Amino acid sequence: MLITSALISGLGLGSMYGLLALGFYITYSVSSTVNFAQGSSMMLGAVLAYTFAVTLGWPFLPAALLALALCAVYGMLVEIVAVRPFARRGSNAWLMATVALGIIADNVVLFTFGKEPRGFTMPWATGSFQLFGIGVSPLQLAIPALGLSLAGALHLFSRRTRLGKALLAVVQNADAARLMGINVPLAILLAYAASTMFAGAAGIMIAPLFNVHSDMGTLFGLKAFAVAILGGITSAWGVMIAGLLFGITEALITALLGSAYTQVLSFALVIVVLAFMPNGLFGRAEVKKV
Amino acid sequence: MRFVPWILFAVAFAAALAFTATANSYYVFVMATLALTAVTGIGLNVLLGLTGQVSFGHVGFYALGAYAVAILTVTAKWSFWAALPVAAVVAGVTGALLALPALRVKGPYLAMVTIAFGFIVEHGAVEMRGLTGGQNGIMGVPTISAFGAAFGERGVALAAIVLAALATLGYWLLARSRWGAAMRAVKDSEVAAESIGLDPIRIKALAFTISAVCAGLAGAFFSALSGFVTPSTFTFSQSILFVLVVIIGGAGSVAGPLVGAAIVVLLPEALAGLAEYRLLFFGALLLGVLWVAPGGVVGTVLRLVARRRPPRLAGDKAVALAPREKAGLAVEGLGIAFGGLKAAQDVSLEARPGAITSLIGPNGAGKTTVLNMLGGFYRPDTGRIRLGAQELQGRRACHIARAGVARTYQTTQLFGSMTVAENLAIASNDGGGEELLGFVGYRGDLDARAADLPHVDKRLVEIARALALRPAALLLDEPAAGLSREDKAVLGSLLRRIADSGVAVVLVEHDMAVVMGISDHVVVLDAGLRIASGTPAEVQLDPAVRKAYLGEEQGRATAHRADEASLGGALLEVGRLEAGYGAEPVLKGIELKVREREMVAVLGANGAGKSTLMRALAGLHRPVAGGIALGGEDLARLPAHRIAARGLVLVPEGRQVFPELSVLDNLWLGAFLRKDAAAADIETMLVRFPRLRERLHQRAGLLSGGEQQMLAIARGLMGKPKLLLLDEPSLGLAPQVINDLFAALDRLRSEAATILLVDQMAGLALALADRAYVIEAGRIVASGPAAEIAADGALEKAYLGAG
Amino acid sequence: MLARRTFIALALAAALPAALPVTSAYAQQPIKIGLVTALSGQSARAGEAITRGLQVAIDELNAKGGVLGGRKFELVRRDDEATPAKGVIAARELLFKEKVAVLFGGLDTPVSLAIVPIVNEAKMPFVGPWAAGTGITKNGAKENYVFRVSAVDEIVNKAMLAYAQKTFNSKNCGMILVNNPWGESNEKGLMAALGAKGLKPAGIEKFEGNDVDVVPQLTRLKSAGADCLFLVGNVGPSAQVVKSLDRMGWKPPVVSHWGPAGGRFTELAGPSAPMVHFVQTYSFFGKQTPVGEKVLKALMAKYPDIKGPGDVTPAVGVANAYDGMMLTALAIQNAGKLDGPAIREGYYRIGSHAGLIKNYDKPFSATNHDAVNENDYVWTQFIDHQILPVGMKK
Repeated sequence: MLITSALISGLGLGSMYGLLALGFYITYSVSSTVNFAQGSSMMLGAVLAYTFAVTLGWPFLPAALLALALCAVYGMLVEIVAVRPFARRGSNAWLMATVALGIIADNVVLFTFGKEPRGFTMPWATGSFQLFGIGVSPLQLAIPALGLSLAGALHLFSRRTRLGKALLAVVQNADAARLMGINVPLAILLAYAASTMFAGAAGIMIAPLFNVHSDMGTLFGLKAFAVAILGGITSAWGVMIAGLLFGITEALITALLGSAYTQVLSFALVIVVLAFMPNGLFGRAEVKKV
Repeated sequence: MRFVPWILFAVAFAAALAFTATANSYYVFVMATLALTAVTGIGLNVLLGLTGQVSFGHVGFYALGAYAVAILTVTAKWSFWAALPVAAVVAGVTGALLALPALRVKGPYLAMVTIAFGFIVEHGAVEMRGLTGGQNGIMGVPTISAFGAAFGERGVALAAIVLAALATLGYWLLARSRWGAAMRAVKDSEVAAESIGLDPIRIKALAFTISAVCAGLAGAFFSALSGFVTPSTFTFSQSILFVLVVIIGGAGSVAGPLVGAAIVVLLPEALAGLAEYRLLFFGALLLGVLWVAPGGVVGTVLRLVARRRPPRLAGDKAVALAPREKAGLAVEGLGIAFGGLKAAQDVSLEARPGAITSLIGPNGAGKTTVLNMLGGFYRPDTGRIRLGAQELQGRRACHIARAGVARTYQTTQLFGSMTVAENLAIASNDGGGEELLGFVGYRGDLDARAADLPHVDKRLVEIARALALRPAALLLDEPAAGLSREDKAVLGSLLRRIADSGVAVVLVEHDMAVVMGISDHVVVLDAGLRIASGTPAEVQLDPAVRKAYLGEEQGRATAHRADEASLGGALLEVGRLEAGYGAEPVLKGIELKVREREMVAVLGANGAGKSTLMRALAGLHRPVAGGIALGGEDLARLPAHRIAARGLVLVPEGRQVFPELSVLDNLWLGAFLRKDAAAADIETMLVRFPRLRERLHQRAGLLSGGEQQMLAIARGLMGKPKLLLLDEPSLGLAPQVINDLFAALDRLRSEAATILLVDQMAGLALALADRAYVIEAGRIVASGPAAEIAADGALEKAYLGAG
Repeated sequence: MLARRTFIALALAAALPAALPVTSAYAQQPIKIGLVTALSGQSARAGEAITRGLQVAIDELNAKGGVLGGRKFELVRRDDEATPAKGVIAARELLFKEKVAVLFGGLDTPVSLAIVPIVNEAKMPFVGPWAAGTGITKNGAKENYVFRVSAVDEIVNKAMLAYAQKTFNSKNCGMILVNNPWGESNEKGLMAALGAKGLKPAGIEKFEGNDVDVVPQLTRLKSAGADCLFLVGNVGPSAQVVKSLDRMGWKPPVVSHWGPAGGRFTELAGPSAPMVHFVQTYSFFGKQTPVGEKVLKALMAKYPDIKGPGDVTPAVGVANAYDGMMLTALAIQNAGKLDGPAIREGYYRIGSHAGLIKNYDKPFSATNHDAVNENDYVWTQFIDHQILPVGMKK
């Protein structure tokens, strides 16, 4: 029972990490940059959805969709304001700039949305049923399902649509993509929009299980970065699987050894894995050339 | 004027001490915090600024130092001065240990390892409650006392400022020392550092340790200053602030962390009155500072006040070169495979001391791969490499360099942020080596930054740096690439002089005039195999070599459309086109014209500038000077994707299909810009290239080289180009495949497509083209109908260096 | 470049006036009251509550003409970002640069503990309206300048155990504690309370303030045979525990510190919110004393987002800060001058005072620096969106 319940909660959390980490993957593979404050993007998704669905009383679906659209806008803002000016000059100051923008976003939300954590209750998200002798909330199963289907949707989008294929082309060979007439700066901008939308979706999904406040994404964002790296940031499925593994490992450590060890052990595992697999679990080594 | 920085530093620290000695308790504490932040920043600057490694976990070392002092002084009742070295050692040893996993990884992976480390320390402090006091930490850490008198916080603050001054001095000394130079060398080019015998792993580990010790010391003083330690003081965000100190101040500069610490500590204090809005404004101002000075405040200011300093010119006294020993390089049965691809098999060669041994072959023949194995950059799968009596195979590059094998690179690998003199000093045993600059013929400024040198000087300095190792053998990878004809002559005689001094010279070079002019022995590779060897004259006459270079001129239909009436007006007009990398132009006033329905070939040896021309036309190479007009519209200032939209499509060198996408998707991407239905055109392509139909749903990366080339051409045609540019379509393909390829191109030509073709296989290209240009060293040296060019000697000279 | 320089100049020009302290135009300098607390991040709401409690009290005092012959009070706040290192700098700034007469602390025990030695050395009064760590007031200093109008963990923990035994007849309680200093301090307190009765906990589990799922920890406690839970966590984390219990379908009695009162617990925790019984020093729900009515009215007038007692969250922060400020005004009046040692004596000389939490009678003495004690705790639960004494509504 201990292990089953750990597996179920680990799966739910892990798919959240995976979704956020996919956001890192998308921008990194297109531009070799990431939004270091991805946790703020996640928070923004939840806060906006809450504002539309609860404060303004809209039906859930349009609220969530508009929240995601605004997340996409925020993602583009991140790229234009905090990434492009630095990446263009070959400076790595985008690291700091995205952190700074994250601080701004968190605090703007703190003063507009409010300082109190809010509960995002959805009628379909409450209640629980018995599965393998343990209580499970429907949302707990829905989250991995939704998470995986979003990852799948990303896969389909990139494989089946013109725009998606163009993004993949930029990932694989930016110069050749330009020769096809693909606007690479625009592709990077869109990658940031998509990345932030994934984080926003994770925020909206986790909100009913969690609570909504300006600080809700910080730890998530950091763990998601660990997941993205563990998965070998260049592989979409690798990142998603690493997310599930990380979530399950965390829950298992808590269940078997006690919560005192969770943080120390899970981060120590990250170091050990990277020491032996410097390109992550699923990343590929690049052939070095001179 | 040399003393100005010294005076500035002295005044700044004296002012800080004077202010701290008199200010109220609040300012004392702020000054102490500033000093300790600066010390940590200086340590981090050793890592980030000198060595180029990032750490987002330095708060971990800071915490270790702080806890060591807190535990030893509170629990074990030690004095601060006894605990201080322990704090430094604990942090330093941990830093060295963390370096083990951290240095195996790069970029974001390194960032993550250090983040994880910081977290482990923070949460370890929470959980190891017996030792650390858990979440509530350790309170009541005694202040520092010496000679029976307690310092109080003012005393601790003064001590912290002295520590910061010492750390600044220490950084300045380190940066000037050999170790500091080695760190900068590793930052600029790990590859080149290894090739002059530096061990990047040891150097990076040392940097990690030094910077951990600095953070540990700062933490130790923090503990005594504030009187408490708690885990919540040592969070991830504090690590980010430390990195910020270095980046915002200016990584790699002595004053950077001081300025950075001042900004990071004082700005929030200035904003304290904003209460809850402080973080918001801090974030905004931070973003503002980063925008204004992305390279750091100090660097930006220094650029503004930078003065011209008189150049220190290299002398021209020609010293005699003295290799440490005379030993030849003997290579037997060398082989290596990447994935399934055998890049080199069973290569044997001998480079005698005092002789120039050249390694030639068409592109992709495996020349650089062999050189990489000789230099230890790749570990060979099979074979032996001996230098005199020493066995070298499988040893690391830095050990091979120390054993006496020096090398230069295809793209020069100088330590760009270091001066010319420093580049030499780091390689030379006695820290000098400047006289070698005279030997190689460098006449420029000794104190110029290597990255700012003109191309030819980079080559010369790189050779001088290799010679500073006093090597027995010198490996050179395409040293003549990008040099002018005059410079090439100078280079040739330099290489001869190096050989004459007794060095075994191994040369990989495309420029046949250079190779044939100076080589004692030539080894020819093709597709990873040795196909010939001998004197230059023997090799030039070898039929296998001619075939490998020029391709076969089989009885192919050469129905030229010399018929003027079938050609349209000028579609592409290029006038006085100049382009280059750095100072030296690669294209020097190219003039050419392609008319509608015409097929034009551009011929020339490797390094002549053909690919640069293609990239310039397609917009991948910017900026360019001169004019490029397609149908009268100027393309010279457009980016690549806009040029593609105007109907000029390049099929790039090396095919560059999208390897993870299916063949079909590659084709669709070719039609990315088209609004009309392209489905019918895909069918047309599959008819044109039937092999692609069989592979339609496979990943393009799995296709053979020939199939990939077909795909790349088909992908280009999907865009319905007005003008199709083909760059080296036959590169690295087997002869039979080349025949198929040219048959396909022949068919295209007969359909009246307009094509500009660049190919090494001059014979085949001329068989297809209506007209041809011959390009040498960035200039058009001949042009005319294909048949005339084929008969002209200029071509053979350009390719094989034969008259 | 010129444009850039202009930009910097403008940015600094915009920032500086805001950073400069607002100086009063009155001939009589106002008496500055300092507050160091978390104003940003997760605990921003709690910092806001303390601010509001102090501000309402200050407004009321100023409207009555201030103290010491008409001197008004002025609140100066600093954000400690919930870290001791920031807190001690902020405290020094307020004490030595702003020269506040009395300093108020925030909600984090480590920050307060780090400030204690500074105020004792500087001989400046420091009042804790929130942080409940025992060692803050019992700090062992010969001249103790630290006073508190708040709960004390040690006493709350004894009360929690007594309540669990009496009300639920629990034999084997497990602890589920947020992994922060507050949680740890309560772990010690609960262990001591249990140990005093020769008991041991069924288990001790911790969770992070940002954890979504606490099921693994709770499952461990359930397997260990826990028949009741001691819960310590702020409102958000406490709600996560309740939601996890809900999912598990486990309904043990939950005896909690005052965390759930910090926000909209029913909204956050869902239908099982009433299962948590928690301790309070004050509740704005139910029938109010005249002081209670006055304060609630003042709050609603000053802060438009407060429309009723449900919006005064966390109520304890507001109430403790309000009473703390009122007692401080009395202490200053008793002292007759703005001098640390004199004000400290002034606190001891406070007689009876009708406060919000209770009617104080000699709240402080040389041996007792805590104005609120176990007799002032009430056990409450959330029924719908109101905090009501347990058993008031079934």
